[in-house]
Amino acid sequence: MSIDKELREELRQAADSMHCPPDLYGRVRQSYQHYVNEKRGRSPMKKHVLAGIAAIAILIPSAVFASSYLAHDIFGSSTTIEQHGVSQEEYQEIEGMLQTAKGKLTKDEFKEYMELTKQLVQLKLKITDENGVVHEEKLTKEEQQQFEQLASRLAPYFEKINGVAKP
Amino acid sequence: MNDKELLPWLEKATLGDESAFQLVYQATHQDVYRTVAFLVYNKQDIEDIVNEVYMRMWRSFHKYDPNRPFRFWLHGITVRQVQDWKRKAWRRIRLFERNRQMTCEQFEWTDKAVLRSEMQHELFSLVRQLSYKLRVVVILRYFHDYALEEIADMLQIPVGTVKSRHHLALKELRKRFEMTGGDAYVH
Repeated sequence: MSIDKELREELRQAADSMHCPPDLYGRVRQSYQHYVNEKRGRSPMKKHVLAGIAAIAILIPSAVFASSYLAHDIFGSSTTIEQHGVSQEEYQEIEGMLQTAKGKLTKDEFKEYMELTKQLVQLKLKITDENGVVHEEKLTKEEQQQFEQLASRLAPYFEKINGVAKP
Repeated sequence: MNDKELLPWLEKATLGDESAFQLVYQATHQDVYRTVAFLVYNKQDIEDIVNEVYMRMWRSFHKYDPNRPFRFWLHGITVRQVQDWKRKAWRRIRLFERNRQMTCEQFEWTDKAVLRSEMQHELFSLVRQLSYKLRVVVILRYFHDYALEEIADMLQIPVGTVKSRHHLALKELRKRFEMTGGDAYVH
């Protein structure tokens, strides 16, 4: 028998006798779950998401509708904004945030980001009255679900914009 | 399950579908484990590396080129993880410590099943004594049946280097085998 053939045969037999220890499964599964959580942005990312949502929530009640910036697409007509009271300064801040997003995301990503943010803001506007007070109970169950879904879809974008995304 | 059928599951697993993860693990873990165990001998290290291979699998799936065989990609990841592990200096120090201990507790630190097959298979035990650089070529060539060009691609070294390592490995094996009395493979 040639050495090639013998090597193949012996390596195959040796491999057959090697068995992956069953408890390794638990460990790999744990790492996998860790990966999934990280991907869905449970741990450090969640803070950024919350910070992002909080920023929007705080800024809306006190912002003044300024002009046709990116923010205009998000808030809709000027009357919508005026109903919630508006300051030029803070409107600029939102505009700045959106411009940063535009710079850091690809064209398609930004398009989706804008769309999602728009939906999120619509919900926010719905529950914020003219004095800037938030009434979460105004949301229906479906709207609440939608809200959470939007937040989690926006999560990776916030992460990217805030510059903490891994390569 | 063949590789083509496995791919959609792998994609689902990377998106967080746990049952898909189970399926992918079941379909690949023996292969990954054995490949690593041929290259690294300490049981704990083997398990660490297998775990890392799976992490790498989820994280790099987006880089996978569907025109190439899945196993080739998987083995590429596996070999790279083994090499990464070998490179890390602090681990090398640990290894040094272990090598010292190994002389007194050899039977505990090597898998018993592997030892048994070493005793039954002379040539296999000689393969295990080859240096890592030669051994990895032998394993990829004779266990996974890759062509020398494919091995070069996977190890990211020139084909000429693979050829010379392959040649050297066989020469070593023949020489040692002759010394232990088995002259059947000497041409």
